[in-house]
This record gives sequence, structure tokens and C-alpha cells, in this order.
Amino acid sequence: MNIIETANITKRFKPLTALDNISIRVGEGEIYGFLGLNGAGKTTLIRILLGMVTPTAGAVKLFGKSLDKRFDRWNSIGYLVETPCAYPNLSVVENLHVYHSLRQLTDKKLIANIIERLNLAHYADTKAKHLSLGNQQRLGLAKALMHSPKLLILDEPVNGLDPEGIVEIRGLLKELSASGTTVFLSSHILGEISKLASRIAIIHYGKLLDELNADELHERLIKKTLVKTNDNKRAAACLNAAQYHAALGDGEIAVSDKKAVEKPEEVAKRLVENGFSVKQLYVFTENLEQYFLRTIRGKENV
Amino acid sequence: MCNLLLALRAELIKFKHSKVFLISAIAFALVPVMSGVFMLVMRHSAAAAKASLLSAKMEMMSVSADWDALFMILTQGMGVGGIMVFGFTASWIFGREYSDSTVKDLLSLPTSRATILNAKYIACFLWSIALAIVNVGLGVAIGLLLQLPGFDGEHAFACLRGYFSTTFLTLLLGTPVAFLAIWGKGYLSPLAFVALTLVFSQIIAAVGYGQYFPWAVPALHSGIGGEQPPLNNLSYLTVAAVAVAGYYASIFYWKHTDYQK
Repeated sequence: MNIIETANITKRFKPLTALDNISIRVGEGEIYGFLGLNGAGKTTLIRILLGMVTPTAGAVKLFGKSLDKRFDRWNSIGYLVETPCAYPNLSVVENLHVYHSLRQLTDKKLIANIIERLNLAHYADTKAKHLSLGNQQRLGLAKALMHSPKLLILDEPVNGLDPEGIVEIRGLLKELSASGTTVFLSSHILGEISKLASRIAIIHYGKLLDELNADELHERLIKKTLVKTNDNKRAAACLNAAQYHAALGDGEIAVSDKKAVEKPEEVAKRLVENGFSVKQLYVFTENLEQYFLRTIRGKENV
Repeated sequence: MCNLLLALRAELIKFKHSKVFLISAIAFALVPVMSGVFMLVMRHSAAAAKASLLSAKMEMMSVSADWDALFMILTQGMGVGGIMVFGFTASWIFGREYSDSTVKDLLSLPTSRATILNAKYIACFLWSIALAIVNVGLGVAIGLLLQLPGFDGEHAFACLRGYFSTTFLTLLLGTPVAFLAIWGKGYLSPLAFVALTLVFSQIIAAVGYGQYFPWAVPALHSGIGGEQPPLNNLSYLTVAAVAVAGYYASIFYWKHTDYQK
């Protein structure tokens, strides 16, 4: 079953079209990464998924149910939208008590459990206004996770966290996904998305440019073997003579053939046999950030 | 009903550690304290001679040093000051969600948006009633301390009825303030609105139409008007109409607007 399903979602804030015909499907247990520059429409889509913004056109289904007045699965959803905010004069525990009541939860242990799980025990009685940005983020995540939702919608979940916190949250999200929780997240930290997401969508100026799973992404990333020798110019000519596509770059030779990427040792062997000294050889793989920029720039140039 | 109680519980948690209740109680306490000072000055001719401006003002108001006068000042204080203090309360309860950016966390929950707003209205009502009780309690304590004459049970009941009916009328005018806090997304719009209603109440009452201006009605009901035309059913109806319109506008807007920020 699709946990999230949008059909031709369009949102206009005259004269701007914030979202233009966005149709996505997110399956159970997936971690769906949503990428886009500032103002691309990520947060607008997240707010539409949470019923905070009404689309100009199109429909949303969550857990197979239309998102309308009769939608009754809000306790299956946890969310964190943009900057985490809390009641500044209330402590961490008191803030969680507010949402424990509003979510109509009965198990009092849920608060203690989530505080423990997100390493907030030391700050349980600290007022929210005295928390660091990272701990405010943890409190936001605690509100989103307290009721063990089946769908987590997170906007920039690792903002403000230190490296240890990022690793910890990444582990937590992977653990939740493994237990069947669907995670929909947007992030500017593309490296983070690449480590987490099982599927990725790229949005630009309100349009969905690309949607692909981890295998498809791996296929589409540019890969090449980069070599440095004692004479790059002659070495490149040597490789081209051997049916490789070698191009001289900035102090190195880029060999973009599939065979060169799959068997870089053959490239080294060829060069050594022809009397060149190989100073450095490695296989370069484009990262998600480079792929993302290439995708949106490619679209802009069309 | 259970959902409403849980939402009310959430609202009451938000009051914890809040200085706003204390600030509003202190602001409101100025009325009984000042009425005590009036009584004290009236009872001591030497003090009255020294505070000539104050005694002149009291003579103008035909105030004597007794329970009647004390309750009159408390009730009139409620008619004017109540609009301001209750307006401040409503602005804080409804506007803080925008100022603290917590509004987005109230919108996608099993507790409906209307229930959350109703809980806020109940919290606002309870808070305002608590302020009114503290205010009148302090007034009575001051009256007992000064050993004012003319206190009897029946008379006190009539005075309290006047005081709390004025409180109720003032409370009804809180719903447009709540709407403006939601519409204006913060404190500024409702507070500006409260200030404007106070100014317009003075002007409109001065030209003799106060009985048809809802925000002047509680003050006129408290007896502050003197020679003003008396209030009629239409006067009270305008207050009720404003209360109902403010309530439904706030519920409608809260439920249906887009939340972009």
C-alpha cells in the first residue's frame, strides 16, 4: 500500500506557482528524500501533506485515505516542519505533556521513553528557551516520535545537530524504517539524504524533475577513472590509441569508459607497459550534491 | 467532551511559569488599591486637604467613604479596565502560538482545530474570571481593613451582581480580540484593536451614542455614564452580536486558512 500518494498537486500563490502537478507515491517502510533549493516548493508540499495548506488543484491520500475533513489517522503521523519550536517557558517534559494531551495519549511512559531514546534525560527539566539548537531539534523530534507514528514527515531533521547527533538520528531513522515506519524527509544536506534515502525526488521551481531509487541513482551518477602520470599528455594519447576515451583535465587524465571504471587496473597496466609512471589512479563517483546540481542546471539549460 | 478536557489541560500546562497572569493581576489590582486610597483620603480630612486634586476628583464623582462607593469604583474599573486587561489576556492566549511559532504543531493532530480553539476560549474565560475574583477579593479586603461602613449581605449581593454582570459583558467582547490575534498572527493587531476600542468608546459615549457601541456598553452598564442615555435591549444585543461574530470568525479562520509560516 502507498502510504503517501499525491495526484497532480498544484499550489498557486498568485502570481507564483509554488507546486506544479506534483504526483508522488511513497510505499510502506521507504525513506523518501525530497531535494530542492530554497523556495523550490519542498515545505509547501510538506504542509499540504499535513493539511496545513490546501492545494489549488490535485488530491492527497495518506494510508489510502483522502486527506479531507474526515481524515482520522493523525496519530499515525509524526512531523517536524522547518525550525523546531516549543513553548519557551515550559521544560522539555512540560512541552511533551502538552502534545501528550493533544494527541489524546494515555500511556504516561511514552514521555519518559522518548526522552530516554533521544538522549534528552539530562535536559528533561530545562526550559525550552535554554536549550541549544541541537537539543531543540531533539525536542522537535521527540514530539514527532513520541506516539510511534507509522509515517514520519521531517523537514530538515538534522539541522543544528552536531556530528554525533547526526549519526544518532540517522541510525534512529534507519531503525524506524526497518520496523516499517515510512519516512518522508527533505534536507539541504544532500550527503545525509544519500546515506538514508531509499528513493529520492528532485523538485525545482515547483516542478518534479526527477524521481529515482537508490539503484537508479547509482546508475545515473557519473563515474570515471582519474589518473596522474609522469607525462599526462602522452599517456592520454596512449589510452586513446587503446580505444579508451581519455581526456586531459586539471593535472590528471579522466577516463570515462565503463571498462575503465570497472577495471581500473587494466588502465594502470596499459600505462606501465608503455613506459609511463602512474603516480595516482582512482575511480571518481559523482556524489548526490553534484548529481542534484547537474540535474537542475540541465533543466535550466533546456 | 473528553477531547475538550484534554485540550484544556494542554492549555493550562502552558500557563505554568507564565508571568502574564501575575502581570495582569497586578495591573488589575491598581483599581482596588486606588479605591482604597480614595476611601482613606475621604475619611481623613487632613489627608484630603493635602491631596486636594484627589479630593476634588472624588467630590466630582460624588464618592463617599463606604462600601457602595468602593463597589462602584470596582465595577466601573471593570467596565473600562476589563476591556484592556481581558483584551491583553486574549491577545496572549491566542497570539502566543504565532509569536512562539508553535501554531504549526497544533494543526495536524487527532484533537480537532475547533476543539483546540474552544479550549483556548475556556482557558481565557477561566483566567479572566480568576482575575475578576482576585480583583474583587482585594477590594473587599481593603474595605474590611479600612472598616468601611454600610456593609450588609443583601446589599453586598446586589453590588457583586453588578460587578460580575459587568465582568460578563466585558468578557463577551474578547472574541473579536481572539479573532484578530489569529488573523494578525500575533499580539500586535489585537492590542492595537483594544486600544482603538477604548478611544472610540470615549468619543462615541461623549457624543451620546455609547449605548449602541458594544465596547462602551460594559462601562455604561457599570454606571460610569452619569447623564448618558440609558442602555436598552439593543445595547446588550450589539454586545452579544459582536461576541458571536468574533467567535465564529475565529473558528472559521483557524480551521480554513493556509498556514504558510
